[in-house]
Amino acid sequence: MLRLGGLALVAIALVWSWRATEFSLGGLATGAPAIARFVANMTPPDTTWEILKIGLKSGLLTLQIALLGTGIGALFAVLLGLLAANNLTPEWVHHPLKILLAIMRSIPILLLGLIFVGAVGLGGSPGVLAIAIHTIGNLAKLFADECETAFEGVWEAMDSAGANWSQKVRFAVWPQVAPQIVSLTLYRFEMNIRESAVLGFVGCAGIGYYMEIYRRSFNYPRVCTMVLFTMAIVLGVDQLSVQIRKRIS
Amino acid sequence: MTQRTTPVIRVEHLEVKYGRNVVLCLEQLRINRGEQISIIGPSGAGKTTLLRTIKGYVRPSLGKIEVLGLNWSTCNRATRRRVQRRIGLIFQQFHLVPRLTVLQNVLCGRLGSTHRWASLLGHFSSEDRQIAWRAIAEVGLQEQVHQRADTLSGGQQQRVAIARVVAQQPEVILADEPVSSLDPVLGAEVLSLLREVTRHHDATLILILHQPALAKQFGNRVVGLRNGAVVFDDPPSKLTDDRLEEIYHGHSPVPLPRGDSPADEPLALVGA
Repeated sequence: MLRLGGLALVAIALVWSWRATEFSLGGLATGAPAIARFVANMTPPDTTWEILKIGLKSGLLTLQIALLGTGIGALFAVLLGLLAANNLTPEWVHHPLKILLAIMRSIPILLLGLIFVGAVGLGGSPGVLAIAIHTIGNLAKLFADECETAFEGVWEAMDSAGANWSQKVRFAVWPQVAPQIVSLTLYRFEMNIRESAVLGFVGCAGIGYYMEIYRRSFNYPRVCTMVLFTMAIVLGVDQLSVQIRKRIS
Repeated sequence: MTQRTTPVIRVEHLEVKYGRNVVLCLEQLRINRGEQISIIGPSGAGKTTLLRTIKGYVRPSLGKIEVLGLNWSTCNRATRRRVQRRIGLIFQQFHLVPRLTVLQNVLCGRLGSTHRWASLLGHFSSEDRQIAWRAIAEVGLQEQVHQRADTLSGGQQQRVAIARVVAQQPEVILADEPVSSLDPVLGAEVLSLLREVTRHHDATLILILHQPALAKQFGNRVVGLRNGAVVFDDPPSKLTDDRLEEIYHGHSPVPLPRGDSPADEPLALVGA
């Protein structure tokens, strides 16, 4: 009965959204020539040395922005995640912290990018800041969840041996959660590569910035080059991450 | 040796409440240095509460408890932490860190005495390491020193837990059903080991045991609890079937000594 009701609710929600968005596959069919034209305009990609150099350099920067943003974000996320775990800290510490983290991840990352471009100007830093903030909000929550599942008895055993809070965290919690923390951070890094590229659209440095410039000047072969570079980076990092995760599990 | 007769634990008119329920009510209890005590009683009799009160984790609502010369109710936090470090705990579920090696687990017993900041980086002094190695040798796990704790058998895991407590160099060892998750043969081995290391380090051992036979075998004094009160406190030789019946009546010790003893018949002891 309950399951049927749930199914009905989902169906209603879908129809409701369908009507509001006026989504239709027919539109896709009638729009097909336009898509074909767009693809035709993009090919062949611009492979002049100058453009390849821009793609490579800015692609690397996108990667570096994601790397630094993830690094800073994960570092703070570990600290805040421990403090936000309700089995490790008193209510007055973890409760407000959980709310703060929820606020941090509720702000769309592009909005964060716009805010920081306004605050610190164009370049790499606004991207790093936006990614770091969003990563903290996201990862710290996941880390806290992870800590909350850690086996409690070990904590009591360490306490009995005279360990202080940080020692208990280091020996009773950390060894239990570390593999998950590494894995979650890698996953977030993959996500951040894509975020880093898209943040270029709002003025952060990196490959997205050039994609947006070339799109505005209708230079589609160059846009295509940038898209291909982005895809290569994303796929490369995904592969690397799969390999690392295989090792640690 | 006046040391021998100094009480390490002195309880007077102690009452412990959980909410409005009195779970422990002891008129008087003295435990001297070097004693090996078995605590028995039906579940809910207050055995674990007594252990936690001795460790200073549970605050009594009334009365006085002195452990290693310190009154838990009147001392400050720092002093309490310092004295608590001299009391080791052994658990039914071992509570080892699964992903750490035997050595790393045993080194955790040094956390209260070692350099705090260095330990966070995983560094322990050579003195700490020596103590840990000796403790591992004492429980006979030299071969497994670098093996991960979660690859060991249950009996071996409890040995690691014992080594960890030995490394802590406690004066009192409290063990809450240390062998309930082990099979009987392993259980007896682990209890012998616990008794040996306690003697060797001149410590005091307090065991909660579910089987009266083991309690008689491994305690030189048996304390029987029932409804939070001491109803038996004598050498094991005085623990007759009648007295056992007094402690448990209506409840059965786990597992049943004979497997089929009805509540109205005196309980028989294995090998009694």
